Amino acid sequence: MKYLILGASAAGINAAKTLRKLDKDGSITIISIDDKVYSRCMLHLYIGKKRSIDRLSFVEEYFFEKNNINWIKGRRATKIEPEKKRVVLDDGSSHEYDKLLIATGSSAVVPPVGNLREGKNVFTLRNLEDAIAIDKLADGSERAVIIGGGLIGIDVAVELMDRGLKVDIVEMGPNILPMQLDKRSANVYERELKKRGAGIFTNVLAQKGVLDSNGNIVEVVLKDGTSLSADMVIVAAGVRANADFIEGTNIKFDRGIVVNERCETDEEDIYAAGDVCANKPGIWPLAVEEGITAAYNMAGLERKIENSFGFKNSMSFYGIPTISIGNPNIDDEDYQIDIYDDGKVYKKVVHKDGIIYGAIFQRDISYAGVFTKIIAEKIPIDTIDKNIFKIGYGDFFNINSKGEFEFTKREYGLKII
Amino acid sequence: MRRIMIDRYKCEACLGCVLGCMVEHNKKGKSIYDLDLEDMANESRNHVEVDYENRPAPIICRHCEDPECVTTCMSGAMTKNEETGLVEYDKDKCASCFMCVMSCPYGVLKADRINNEVIMKCDMCSNREVPRCVEFCPTRALYMVEVAR
Repeated sequence: MKYLILGASAAGINAAKTLRKLDKDGSITIISIDDKVYSRCMLHLYIGKKRSIDRLSFVEEYFFEKNNINWIKGRRATKIEPEKKRVVLDDGSSHEYDKLLIATGSSAVVPPVGNLREGKNVFTLRNLEDAIAIDKLADGSERAVIIGGGLIGIDVAVELMDRGLKVDIVEMGPNILPMQLDKRSANVYERELKKRGAGIFTNVLAQKGVLDSNGNIVEVVLKDGTSLSADMVIVAAGVRANADFIEGTNIKFDRGIVVNERCETDEEDIYAAGDVCANKPGIWPLAVEEGITAAYNMAGLERKIENSFGFKNSMSFYGIPTISIGNPNIDDEDYQIDIYDDGKVYKKVVHKDGIIYGAIFQRDISYAGVFTKIIAEKIPIDTIDKNIFKIGYGDFFNINSKGEFEFTKREYGLKII
Repeated sequence: MRRIMIDRYKCEACLGCVLGCMVEHNKKGKSIYDLDLEDMANESRNHVEVDYENRPAPIICRHCEDPECVTTCMSGAMTKNEETGLVEYDKDKCASCFMCVMSCPYGVLKADRINNEVIMKCDMCSNREVPRCVEFCPTRALYMVEVAR
């Protein structure tokens, strides 16, 4: 069997690893534009000089040799020819497959806002090359403007400030990290950032960049007229799937490749996994799960994505950890909001009729994974007669004969022990 | 592989397993007499919960066959050892992103309480024949079993 994988990040690498586990003799080839394996979630640590390039890797040393995987680096696919079962690369070479996995991820988007696309000192942070370029320019820079106060924006802001730059953050939402946090929990990070000199501009969009004669943006003007001077600009405002090469195939595309629960596309023997897929948040765990699931099906073993719940994020800035699950910002009086707040530790659970829809845990995140499970699978908690913040796996405890934990089945509104 | 079996109905919540875990992972020595309970650095990797009917339940890592903490780990710190079956944690690789804490459906994981940096992860007492939590359990609520994978 000839397996071909496009992409060498979370989904692609985990698919390859799983394929090797399931099929000892098959031929596995990975083709990627990346010439190193690295975790995109750690790129900011390179900017902050906290990790070298080698330490951004998420695989063991000699991963490709140990797993007997052929790796073609620095190449991208330009065309898929499903009828010939082959992929054409940018150097004109073509590679045949029996089973193909598309795991090419996504690219950061720079919005078509005045001059942002033209500015030479405008960066996104998606690839290692981005991190290297930001690191280089940061050396001679004093001021950075970050457009987008989401997880990536704040990650970069923290590291650039750590290197002594004055950083301004522009966020269109009411607070930074608006997808994950509420006002109370976001304020904690805003305070820490401001304490270290950051400017935070919320509820506002960037309108244009002012170019100097060298083609660098020296000033970012916001919709409300505020002008921020800049030596460099980082844009962290969304992504688009890397799937141009599917043109001419029957693969369905809707802001991402459309796949079923077995990660199959509409073309026979072509699968897709990770951020290139449609209709879900692009988070690491989902990409890995999809890579593994695709691999099983490519190897002829049935496996389905059991849970594609992707509204979960963890973060830690300045030693303050936070976990956010589901939607903690539901604004509807039918929902009950329980809050624990002692001035430091902050916990919030949003629920209705015994089902939890969102939660935030800040400063004390111990054992919070139970809430991820309860929220993702809508496991009812109305029969658990205790403080909602004390709910734990103990309330669902069930161990099988193999010593594995399972969740006690709880019928909605019924007490079953 | 070997697993720590839990009979929750024998558990008296004496916290012997918690003490045992702290003893084994104490950097100052592996005897109970070396354990300074006022030293915040002594933390256990297991815990005992009390459920809604006040019944205790020891929560100890299962070293799952399909471990969520491994799937979710973006640094390569959390890995499943296919030979021993253990889910191993390498604190030097860990980037303290806490996705594992967020993803363990059984609420086994937490970060260390001093620096919020290192994950408190069961290592089955690496080289010991019997893990310390099992050894310290006076009611045999905890015992070792060999299970098929």
